[in-house]
Amino acid sequence: MRKTASPRFGSRFLIGLTFLFLYAPIFILIIFSFNAGASSSVWKGFSLHWYGELFHNRLIMQSIYTTLLVSLLATVVATFAGTFAAIGFHAMRRRPRHILTTVNNIPMMNADIVTGVSLCLLFVAFFGGWHSFAVWVNSWQSLVVLPERLTMGFGTLLIAHICFNIPYVILSVGPKLRQMDRNLIDAAQDLGCTWMQAFWKVVLPEIKPGIVSGALTAFTMSVDDFIISYFTAGTSSSTLAMTIYGMTKKRVSPQINAISTLLFVTVLLLLALVNFRENRAQSRSDKLRRGEAVPPKRQLPPVLKRVGAGALAVALIAALVVTGASSRSDRVVNVCSWGEYIDEDLITEFEETTGIRVNYQTAESNEALYSLINMGGADFDVIVPSDYMIGRLIEEDMLAELNYDNIPNFDLIDDRFKNLSYDPENKYTVPYTWSTLGIIYNRDMVDGEITSWSAMFDPQYAGQVLMINNSRDALAAGLFYLGYDVNTTDKGQIREAFELLKNAKDQGVYQAFVMDQVFQKMEGGNAAIAMYYAGDYLTMVDNSDQDLAFVIPEEGSNWFVDAMCVLKTSQHKEEAEAWINFITSTSSSLANMDYIWYGSPNVEAMEEYPAYYEEEYEEELDQETLDIILTPPEILDKCQMYVNQPQDTLRYYSELWTELGI
Amino acid sequence: MSKELIRLRDICMAFDDEQVLDHLNLYINDKEFLTLLGPSGCGKTTTLRIIGGFTTPTSGDVLFDGVRINDVPPYQRQINTVFQKYALFPHLNVFENVAFGLRMQKRPDPNNPKKTIKIPEEEIRERVLEMLETVSLKGFEHRRPDQLSGGQQQRVAIARALVNRPKVLLLDEPLGALDLKLRKDMQIELKRIQQQVGITFIYVTHDQEEALSMSDTIVIMDKGTIQQIGTPEDIYNEPKNAFVADFIGESNIIDGTMPRDNVVKMYGREFPCLDGGFAPNEPVDVVIRPEDIDIVPVEQGQLTGTVTSVTFKGMQYDIIVDFKGFKWLIQTTDHSPKDARIGIKLDPDSIHVMKKSRYSGMFGDYSSFSEEYDELDDASLGLDEEESGDEE
Repeated sequence: MRKTASPRFGSRFLIGLTFLFLYAPIFILIIFSFNAGASSSVWKGFSLHWYGELFHNRLIMQSIYTTLLVSLLATVVATFAGTFAAIGFHAMRRRPRHILTTVNNIPMMNADIVTGVSLCLLFVAFFGGWHSFAVWVNSWQSLVVLPERLTMGFGTLLIAHICFNIPYVILSVGPKLRQMDRNLIDAAQDLGCTWMQAFWKVVLPEIKPGIVSGALTAFTMSVDDFIISYFTAGTSSSTLAMTIYGMTKKRVSPQINAISTLLFVTVLLLLALVNFRENRAQSRSDKLRRGEAVPPKRQLPPVLKRVGAGALAVALIAALVVTGASSRSDRVVNVCSWGEYIDEDLITEFEETTGIRVNYQTAESNEALYSLINMGGADFDVIVPSDYMIGRLIEEDMLAELNYDNIPNFDLIDDRFKNLSYDPENKYTVPYTWSTLGIIYNRDMVDGEITSWSAMFDPQYAGQVLMINNSRDALAAGLFYLGYDVNTTDKGQIREAFELLKNAKDQGVYQAFVMDQVFQKMEGGNAAIAMYYAGDYLTMVDNSDQDLAFVIPEEGSNWFVDAMCVLKTSQHKEEAEAWINFITSTSSSLANMDYIWYGSPNVEAMEEYPAYYEEEYEEELDQETLDIILTPPEILDKCQMYVNQPQDTLRYYSELWTELGI
Repeated sequence: MSKELIRLRDICMAFDDEQVLDHLNLYINDKEFLTLLGPSGCGKTTTLRIIGGFTTPTSGDVLFDGVRINDVPPYQRQINTVFQKYALFPHLNVFENVAFGLRMQKRPDPNNPKKTIKIPEEEIRERVLEMLETVSLKGFEHRRPDQLSGGQQQRVAIARALVNRPKVLLLDEPLGALDLKLRKDMQIELKRIQQQVGITFIYVTHDQEEALSMSDTIVIMDKGTIQQIGTPEDIYNEPKNAFVADFIGESNIIDGTMPRDNVVKMYGREFPCLDGGFAPNEPVDVVIRPEDIDIVPVEQGQLTGTVTSVTFKGMQYDIIVDFKGFKWLIQTTDHSPKDARIGIKLDPDSIHVMKKSRYSGMFGDYSSFSEEYDELDDASLGLDEEESGDEE
């Protein structure tokens, strides 16, 4: 007995471990979606706060609307097309049928990223061809004016979804057709049906289970898809998955947990439904094959069925209406910014006062934004890149000169933030926020105060330090510490900074190289020292019980500006300038500063912020916090801005980063 | 019984260059039970599908009551079909399966001759229940097809076709999927139903016994052509060629010549017979049925041979006898031991003389008797599946 019991225990233990491994992350996600606090590592009590917040998040609601609409339309079209395609396949002779079935299966095996990229290329190529065609047509006649510039958007997203959904429908309808007695259609025609009647009365009921599972699978795939959408949605539409991804960039809001939980549950339910149907059908046909008695299918009363279907339809339509309620307008501005980088009430306010609809998108990083624009098909009007990227965009002639007459609020910008190195004559940009890079540390885990970049390389804190996971910032720490120019192109100096970093890494100083995980680690007291951005430090303090501190080291540091610019390709320049003007106003700047804790360049806002804070929270803003949001001039003087590096240096940076081998 | 209802005139049918029907001519009388009989791939199912309208012939005419119906779709023909595997609608119960055809029907509105109306629900109910009674399935209305046995499904299929009161019922190997006992019962049942409803049945089978016991007329087909048309008795007693003789029952087929009328010469010997009308000394095929041969002592025999095998069959012995290298099958109630020398005697009416045909020499030799039995059975089943696959 004992001999048999122990392997069984062992195998159960292994199975348990496997499932734990698979599902633990999701459980944690679900649990933290109910966390009252904003941290993703510190539990502050049960709350539905983030779910409520979700429904007030315009961006999320809009992307749910897009997701539902795309998924539904794609499902309907794909189900039609797939069903008839399956019928066509079925009518073929064996060889061509086999070939087509194989061809049909390939897209499902294919990596999503390949499908996504190839669809994207196809659309871009088509738009290119269309452009020439439209220009040519418009040149010799004026009766019909064809649009010359097409961009990716909802249409391309829908086409892509239909494309990748059709194979699933075919795959699920095909077997049902094969199971069907070939004589059924003949029999129906024999009994007085035309071919179409035979199809509706006999074939359809027979293959209906296949069609329904096909449609459910297609819908699930659509809701679920990220990669293909990412490449084909262009910039004016964003699905839920894309929005979630965008949100993870700057500051991880617990709303992500809530929406991910909802998405997980939705997909789980759909999949369960598909599997349940298939299993039931399978067990019936197995029993029949073995000649066992089969209980009659339990049929819901038709009334109940109809009520059920009706309720589902109403729920879907309601979801569409609720999420799509944002007013539609002809005047549009497409804004691309970073995740969690605006007080979203401002968007609503802008739409209400101007009647211009805002399409608010997010990108993950300056580099991602750059490639989005470069790939073509993007139709952003306003973008908010960082200083060094602006330099590059100007260099490559991708930005439009602004008409500052339309942006009177530009006068409110502090002179310190005008004519900066990236835009010396200030023809292209209006600053959005500014902040500094510094060291965040946990006072309980560090002796005394940290004042120098040396802390980032100090073996004393082995295993306690979080290094920032991007080459420019990480090497900057070394360059500052060594007293070199942070924008140096001297490879020897850069190499020296690198050796410092590499040495520390080899000595086990770094617990990890992180970006977003820094929040969780510092908030939970899992690391002592990290280098990160000032605004984000305040978020951590807000979410944590730890005794955290922020310092700009005495050797100086980086300060940076994210500024609004308008792309040369913009079709809505006037609306774009209206948006920039609105965002630059004192009241907008105050709201934004309070929401994202990055400094505003608006003089009035900087002055009024302590009063604004007092009014809003009925407590005084302490000087320390204010100094972190708005770094005082004497400290800012020690800070330097990054300059766009020459290609050669950029390549050297990435070579070194590879050599470090994280 | 004598009025012509359907005529197939010079029908040719080819699938992908493969000639399936070759200049087929056939007429079918009203109220007749006609069977298309032949091995797999002979074109019998294709012929049935042409009559039903599921397949359009490559050339030739299909006439119904004297009217050409080549282009009339199946749903407009007064013909219904019982399909090979019944093709019942799985999502409908027995009642709805049977009612299906009636629900599709439209008839002129008595109040407004320009309009058509559906058949009233009451009438549908009445006719369906009546038909279920005819096929002995009363009380099964609410069952689903997958809750019925093979025989019951079979009867639902018949009821579903007959409830529409067609002029012709087509049956495509309807008993093929049933076991032997059930098949015998259903043969009787089918014949009874045909007599009760009094319409034409066109029946397709490869089972010669089924054909003999049920049909008024049998059409024997092979390789897309008709080999012989006739009553079961005609076909059995007067086969036209070696193929028919072999396909219907067992036959010994021997090469011979006709020196003159009423005399046939084989094994160098003249035998009296009842056939005539051949050219002098014309080579012929001589058919002798195994049960028509009398065994006599060697000295009295017209021919003598050696017994090479004996098989007990219950009612009789099948013995194989070697006559100068050519092996005959003889069915007899008397036992003769293996290797015994025996004589045989042939009555004039037990000898049937046929003209030589392309089938001459292919059948009627029992040299490899037992193997032939087995192969025939297996092959016909295996081929059958393929045939239905190819034709659709």
